[in-house]
Amino acid sequence: MPKITIYTTPSCVYCHMTREFLDEHNIAYEDKDVSADEAAREEMIKKSGQLGVPVSDIGGKIIVGFDKAAISKLLNIG
Amino acid sequence: MYDVIIVGGGPAGAAAAIYAARKKMKTLVITENFGGQSVVSDSIENWIGDKKITGLELAKRLESHVKAQEGAEIKTPAKAMKVEKIESGFGANGASVPAWKVFTDQGDSYEALTLIVVSGGRRRRLSVPGEAKFEGKGISYCATCDAPIFKNKIVAIIGGGNAGLEAAIDLTRYAEKVYLVSNKPSLTGDPANLEVLMKSGKAEIINNANVSEILGDQFVSGIRYLDKSGDNAKELKVDGIFVEIGSIPNSEFIKDLVETDERNRIVVDHRTGATSRPGIFAAGDVTDALYNQNNISAGDAIKASLSAYYYLLNIKKQNK
Repeated sequence: MPKITIYTTPSCVYCHMTREFLDEHNIAYEDKDVSADEAAREEMIKKSGQLGVPVSDIGGKIIVGFDKAAISKLLNIG
Repeated sequence: MYDVIIVGGGPAGAAAAIYAARKKMKTLVITENFGGQSVVSDSIENWIGDKKITGLELAKRLESHVKAQEGAEIKTPAKAMKVEKIESGFGANGASVPAWKVFTDQGDSYEALTLIVVSGGRRRRLSVPGEAKFEGKGISYCATCDAPIFKNKIVAIIGGGNAGLEAAIDLTRYAEKVYLVSNKPSLTGDPANLEVLMKSGKAEIINNANVSEILGDQFVSGIRYLDKSGDNAKELKVDGIFVEIGSIPNSEFIKDLVETDERNRIVVDHRTGATSRPGIFAAGDVTDALYNQNNISAGDAIKASLSAYYYLLNIKKQNK
């Protein structure tokens, strides 16, 4: 399983959806709250070129937003 | 052939589906997702029966309530792309009652005797140069999601209604400076919201401003706007832009079949939910309803659902 990091904010519903989706499939991930963690914020912007959450880093592949189809494909889940 | 196809999964879609299924109509719901536009809301405090609920929780409850109905099938995620009028095979004395064939973005199609269009609305965009290029790169349509990313930055909120004011208030918790840009001579949002915003000491209101271009390189660096009071072009240096200029109806797929108003909203009889086309009903934000509210959309959709039921009874009675 690739290493997964998700960049989120507490009040973002698509971030919740991303978390729940991964949880449902028992997939481990690191959740970085970019509202509290400035280093994580810079890391997310540098990696993705995005100023919006959620951003998922799945083994180095960057997915912007809660793109269920793209995440499922990368992780081979339905 | 279904008795009814319901297009949409917001409060209106769920309400229409539950009532249709309970009337034993053979029901299909086609929707991209459940919950409607308030799914992104952090806290809904006016959904009757719940003191406080998140948009996501409301979406789950709507979905599970629909799924609990026997006789209601759900096709999701799927988006209705086109509707064609077909022959139903029903009709007395040579007269033929129409039916409807709904084509989805999944490449399949479904037929029904009646349609309930509850496809809601989506966020209106600025439609100016640079907007598409900088989406997610400084332009956001979700202040509750992305406000924290603009800590100590300069941002502009476009839109002087309550949504704009609320986004601006959200941003004052993080940003160093918040411009609220409205294309009207004065703000249209509640004075109470404006008071909260101005108390932050970080906000500046710019009225009479028509945004004409988003500027930037890799990320947003500013906006260009026409100052209508002086009739000259101005620029504002900002790192982030939040767009809160209302919504537009998702009526494209049905526009050729039913009457719409100048804003592309489906014109309905507000007593029954009937459109200009017999057999097609509509409710919620896709219609010319006066208020855009979850509770009202649900109630109006129930009207439409009951009207579809009686329309169907009448057709089937004629064929006996």
